[in-house]
Amino acid sequence: MSSETTTVKKQERIANNSPLKVKSLAFLSRYGMLLILIALVILMSILSPTFFTASNLLNIVKQMSVVGIVAIGVTLVIITTGIDLSSGSVIALVSVVVASLAQPGGMPLFVPIIVGLGLGLLTGVINGTIISKGKIAPFIVTLGMMTAARGAALLYSGGRPIGNLSEPFKFIGQGQIFGIPFPILLFAFVGVITYLLLNKTKFGKRVYAIGGNEQAAMIAGIHIDRVKICIYGYAGLLSALAGIILTSRIASGQPTAGNMYELDAIAAAVIGGTSLSGGIGTIGGTIIGALVIGVMNNGLDLLNVSSYWQQILKGAIITAAVYLDSRKHNRRS
Amino acid sequence: MQRQKNWFWLIGVLVVALVSAACGGQQAAQPTAASEQQGSNAAADGKLVIGVAHPDFDDKWLSYLQDGMEQYAATQKDVEVIYVDAMNDASKQLSQVENFVLQKVNAIVLIPVDTVSAPEMVEKAKAANIPIIVVNRQYDGVENATAYVGSESIKAGLMQMEEVSKMLNGKGNVALINGQMGQEAQIKRTEGNKQVIGQNPGIQIVLEGTGEWDRAKGMTLMENWLQSGQKIDAVVSNNDEMAIGAIMALEAVGKLEQTIVAGIDATPDALEYVKSGKLQVTVFQNARGQGESGLATAIKAARGETVEKFTWVPYELVTKDNVDEYIQKWQ
Repeated sequence: MSSETTTVKKQERIANNSPLKVKSLAFLSRYGMLLILIALVILMSILSPTFFTASNLLNIVKQMSVVGIVAIGVTLVIITTGIDLSSGSVIALVSVVVASLAQPGGMPLFVPIIVGLGLGLLTGVINGTIISKGKIAPFIVTLGMMTAARGAALLYSGGRPIGNLSEPFKFIGQGQIFGIPFPILLFAFVGVITYLLLNKTKFGKRVYAIGGNEQAAMIAGIHIDRVKICIYGYAGLLSALAGIILTSRIASGQPTAGNMYELDAIAAAVIGGTSLSGGIGTIGGTIIGALVIGVMNNGLDLLNVSSYWQQILKGAIITAAVYLDSRKHNRRS
Repeated sequence: MQRQKNWFWLIGVLVVALVSAACGGQQAAQPTAASEQQGSNAAADGKLVIGVAHPDFDDKWLSYLQDGMEQYAATQKDVEVIYVDAMNDASKQLSQVENFVLQKVNAIVLIPVDTVSAPEMVEKAKAANIPIIVVNRQYDGVENATAYVGSESIKAGLMQMEEVSKMLNGKGNVALINGQMGQEAQIKRTEGNKQVIGQNPGIQIVLEGTGEWDRAKGMTLMENWLQSGQKIDAVVSNNDEMAIGAIMALEAVGKLEQTIVAGIDATPDALEYVKSGKLQVTVFQNARGQGESGLATAIKAARGETVEKFTWVPYELVTKDNVDEYIQKWQ
């Protein structure tokens, strides 16, 4: 893609006049990955008779809820040309802190949840503040947070898992409502809220505007610092929510939890059509991206593919999916 | 685009600068740390001095290894043992070993921070004709050291699988959960499992995957396997954390009763699962035994006696019958 067309497209987005062409393009790019997801599902259903069952499909979405929630936050960050490498470590930090507070007979359930979410929000706000006020590259700032938060998690827990969690707390990751696992409901809730935030509010328009052209956004009177701090704060908050779900799911606070989840989340966003050069990305796309990864993991396990091959296949499928999707982009534009 | 490229270069340069600054800083800091330790003068009063290069005082399991050494040292007259903590930093450990060499200790016990940097430390000691005993962490070429004391990973896999096959009466479908692929413990533990399975024609491996030592990943893997509808009689895991993940997945679908689950490590969490009957088998690596035996070998070598090149401290099988004994060890 030439840089010229990218800028043109970005500017069209900023203006938000959405000429029909741009709108259909955005629709098609999302639709393209959806087609790839459907193809993958059909392929797995043919290869494994137990793949396409209600219980397995719920299982896949449940398993992807944690990474999916992180990916939604990361999508916002990437739209503004940023990156967040700290998500996995924030999950670990939140995990051990929340686990230590959610002991049986201890505090009421909302205390660990509020503390956990607050902690995630804090790490995100720190990221956002240093990035915007300090004018330091997001890659470096969040890399620093990644290391520091992991260290803090190990320090807090003494490097050991914290078990013995209270029964009500376990509901968050293990419970069901009308047969639907609770993590899926949380994932859907976060998806809907973030979709509305991004598409129906002024804040959402500002996010796209900053990603499209930061200078132009500034001239248009947008407080870029404030928006960025909010975005990184939101990403931190969602990492914390993911950490709480994970902790409840495995009934244990683990300082090593969430290792490399930041990369899975970034992959989900990018597979879902979010552009690393900013300005482009949708929540629906990211959810589809997360499901592509989930279907792959699950299908390869069902087929009992060797662990070595799984890694190679996953890498190949991710790259191929993004390649096919980007070709679609190019041809239409 | 051009501007973006520059931006990436800038990041690249910054990362390199940061990393080299961090490394340089550590090396510069070493001599001060080393000179502090030189206070204790080796072998001045005719006592044998043994230097123990410990990777991490905060590690719970290793603290039992150190207990083993301290208990053994208390029974020995005329032996002084110096413990130093590398805080999991290999370059720090290297300078600590160099420092032992400068102090002219009579023997060194090395518990490597990692197995990549250990050979160099062994060389330093050998060049100064100081016996060096490597404990707990084995690597290719460990025979260059005066002696090695530890447990063989393959034995843990053998012991674990033998117990499982006994429980299965030599018949059934087994699912293997590997640790991080390519690590020594993963390769050897699984190899041990497979040797036993090879000798039992009634037992088949029906599923094999990796949980990367992680509870959540072990759980996800087990959930997927349960969806496959494959009949599984036993789940044999490279460590306890992944085994616990599998137990939680089995419990959620009410299949734990019919399934044998086995782990390795005997962590405090796992022992609770053994006590409640959810985890049938785990394997304990004898930390005290390794410490005792490591120090004993070092003292022997310091006195100029010949020592065995390899001392294997046996693993111990933990089941519901003897679990209380191990729960006490962690308290």
